[in-house]
Amino acid sequence: MTIGRAETKGQTVNNARPVVEIKSLVKSFAGRIVLDTVDFQVEPGNIVSIIGRSGGGKTTLMRCINLLEQPDSGTITLQGEPVFAGRKTVCKDLAKLRQRVGMVFQRFYLFPHLTAVENVMLAQMKGLKIPETKALHTALELLAEVGLSHRALAFPEQMSGGEQQRVAIARALALGPSLLLFDEPTSALDPESTRDVLAVMRRLARSGMTMVIVTHEVPFAREISDQIVFIDGGHIIEQGPPSEVIDNPSEERTKAFLRSYNSNS
Amino acid sequence: MNPAPGLFQVPWQEYVPALADGLLRSLGYTAAGFAGAVVIGLGVALLRISSRRLLRIPAAIYTELFKNIPLLAIIFITYFGLASIGIRLDAFQAGTLSLVIFYGAYLSEIFRAALLGVHAGQREAGQALGLGPTVTFTGIIFPQALRLALPGTGTMLVDLLKSTSLLVVISAAELMSQAQLIASETFRALEVYIVISAIYFVVCYPLSQVVLRLERRVQAGAPLSLRRYRRLAQARALLAAAETASYSEVKP
Repeated sequence: MTIGRAETKGQTVNNARPVVEIKSLVKSFAGRIVLDTVDFQVEPGNIVSIIGRSGGGKTTLMRCINLLEQPDSGTITLQGEPVFAGRKTVCKDLAKLRQRVGMVFQRFYLFPHLTAVENVMLAQMKGLKIPETKALHTALELLAEVGLSHRALAFPEQMSGGEQQRVAIARALALGPSLLLFDEPTSALDPESTRDVLAVMRRLARSGMTMVIVTHEVPFAREISDQIVFIDGGHIIEQGPPSEVIDNPSEERTKAFLRSYNSNS
Repeated sequence: MNPAPGLFQVPWQEYVPALADGLLRSLGYTAAGFAGAVVIGLGVALLRISSRRLLRIPAAIYTELFKNIPLLAIIFITYFGLASIGIRLDAFQAGTLSLVIFYGAYLSEIFRAALLGVHAGQREAGQALGLGPTVTFTGIIFPQALRLALPGTGTMLVDLLKSTSLLVVISAAELMSQAQLIASETFRALEVYIVISAIYFVVCYPLSQVVLRLERRVQAGAPLSLRRYRRLAQARALLAAAETASYSEVKP
């Protein structure tokens, strides 16, 4: 297996069914509305970056995709299969759904009691019931892909943040997902580690992987994304290609956000 | 015959069989009591972290009740108390039951803290990888909780072994009961109890050292199962093979 199974963008785009289709999504925490009737769509092979202020609902929207967060109402459809409709989960096998949606967390959440290679093997063996030797080979290949063969037998606490995050990416790829979710993957990292992780993500993007990225790295989002979604106050304020949303925003709130971003960096 | 009041005047050779028998019984109580306490402790801990009040509350009552009454009282109740209402347990049954109930309450606290000590993100990472609740618990939460629980559990094991001496009050024929017999036969209380204390020490000290070493090994991530040992060995072999292969590629 190599990084990214979807062969090339050209091939996957032919498959017209959106990978993610979200309609009228509402989510509140303890009465406070965090997502207010949000529509959101991801086409096969596309890279969609969600940007916006902290607390604006970026991460919540992403966590609704694999139902780590239970929405109040709306519909979620993954690759044509209804997952959430009305007010309840309609997907019968949530575990199977999540095997198709890889997720990378801000704080990595590697399993600290296992070595890097075992982290990448675990879900293959326990979830997909892949035989041990095959799972081991896949894991070592994926670690090589993210440049960490030499750390295969290290434990998470022995690794730098950047190394841990790259292992986490390998772990998510091990199930051969058709969609990868990144929740602020570099927010907990120093600049050097950030560079390494972004390099891996670029390679994934080139391989045609469909990705949704919540990020504060505006220049990176601009460079890598097909679509930028700007969220503020639970609403999608503006979305479109980076050339529009970032280079030529039409909404006042987007402009204000980008101005404050540029003055801070 | 023994005019000088020296320290060692008890004919210990004669008592070796009795002491060996007593020690074995003490260890038997320890093994049975600890095994039972681990099972009860884990069960109660799981109930206490349940989201259902109906499960949580009885478990909390159990823990608080038995943590706050003396082990000696529990021993009297199970042996003499239950007998008075027709439930006759022999010394081994009553003794083991007392140890299980008492240490089960303490271990449930240790296990509960350990289970709660595993970061919530770990469960989420398991879920996001498409693992069900059972596999998430057995493969991710439990092994980490085990590592957190090991120090406290080890301390409890040694404490339990020492507490078997309380079973002297129901003449359980364990080490301390043997000591009492020897003391009453020889009238050498100081000598007898010093020797018995030494025996407890000689058993307990290495046990705590073994537990400590186990703790360090586990903390360092050493495999506890043969299967995991083999898995890591295979990974090591594959990595080594890959390295030699890449070296030979570099050579012309």
